[in-house]
Amino acid sequence: MVFTSAVQLAKRAGLDQYWKKRRIFRLSAHYYGRARNCYVLAIRAVHRSLAFATKARKFKKEDMAQLWETRIAAGSEQHGVKYPHLREGLHRCNIHLNRKTLADLAIWEPYTFRALTQIAWTKMRQDGDREVKEMDGIPPNNVVVPSSKN
Amino acid sequence: MSALQRVTQWQTFARTWHLFDARWQNPFECSSLIAKHLQGRHKPIYHPLNDCGDMVVAINTRHIALASDEWIKRVYFHHTGYPGGATWTLAWELHDKDPTMILKKAVYSAIKNNLQRRTTMQRLFLYPDDKIPDDILANITNQIRSPRPVPTPLPDPASEEFQSFPRIAPFPEDYVLK
Repeated sequence: MVFTSAVQLAKRAGLDQYWKKRRIFRLSAHYYGRARNCYVLAIRAVHRSLAFATKARKFKKEDMAQLWETRIAAGSEQHGVKYPHLREGLHRCNIHLNRKTLADLAIWEPYTFRALTQIAWTKMRQDGDREVKEMDGIPPNNVVVPSSKN
Repeated sequence: MSALQRVTQWQTFARTWHLFDARWQNPFECSSLIAKHLQGRHKPIYHPLNDCGDMVVAINTRHIALASDEWIKRVYFHHTGYPGGATWTLAWELHDKDPTMILKKAVYSAIKNNLQRRTTMQRLFLYPDDKIPDDILANITNQIRSPRPVPTPLPDPASEEFQSFPRIAPFPEDYVLK
């Protein structure tokens, strides 16, 4: 942009400052108290909240993974299988479903999920896992899983 | 929505009443199990903001078992808020005063401290022996399996079972039994 005089340049500087503050106030629009409208307070609050948002991107993933694990563990323990045994058994059968999918199956497709627990149980028993063999409950007798190659 | 779907939804979201027999159980081991049922973490629909916790009725809390010498070593601290208002109560003293308190405090500690904690605790009913009020007994539909097997006590020395048990050698004639 061409400034024909020093006066124009000064005006421009003021406008820049306006838009710079405007950017911050847009982010602080929903805050409570003076942090909404006083720039000195608003910029601190905005920087603080942006820092939280940066950290929260990681925490959100961790929280969701934890919630899925809780749900899968709850679903599998209803059928007598513990969470680590379920994941290990499915992995050995080449069933690579992630935690989100398993949790959704546990809620919305309980019969499919029970079948998965039974596959894992049978596989772990077949591989001679001591903990699984000592588990309480009647193991499924109508499930066939591929045997390990070793 | 079909009749089956409707019933499935009722059953999914209904509050179940569980019975827990605390006889010969370590309260600090089974507290996490009870807390899990109170918070609803045993259901696949669990969410921290979802009010899906169940009711738990714990009976026989007078007959809990503490490991090792914890009855005389475990100390419960209380402070009235006034100067000199601190008290330290041993586990056996607290158990004498209120036989449900040790299990109650154990479950309370097993629940994470948040706004739901007190509400969650209100779903726990504790009874020192196996006498439950009828209106509560009528609701119970499930039993939580106790983690530890209950040991069988030694039979009465005068009983036939004790007398007929095979012995390696008889006691000497002049041996005085206590």
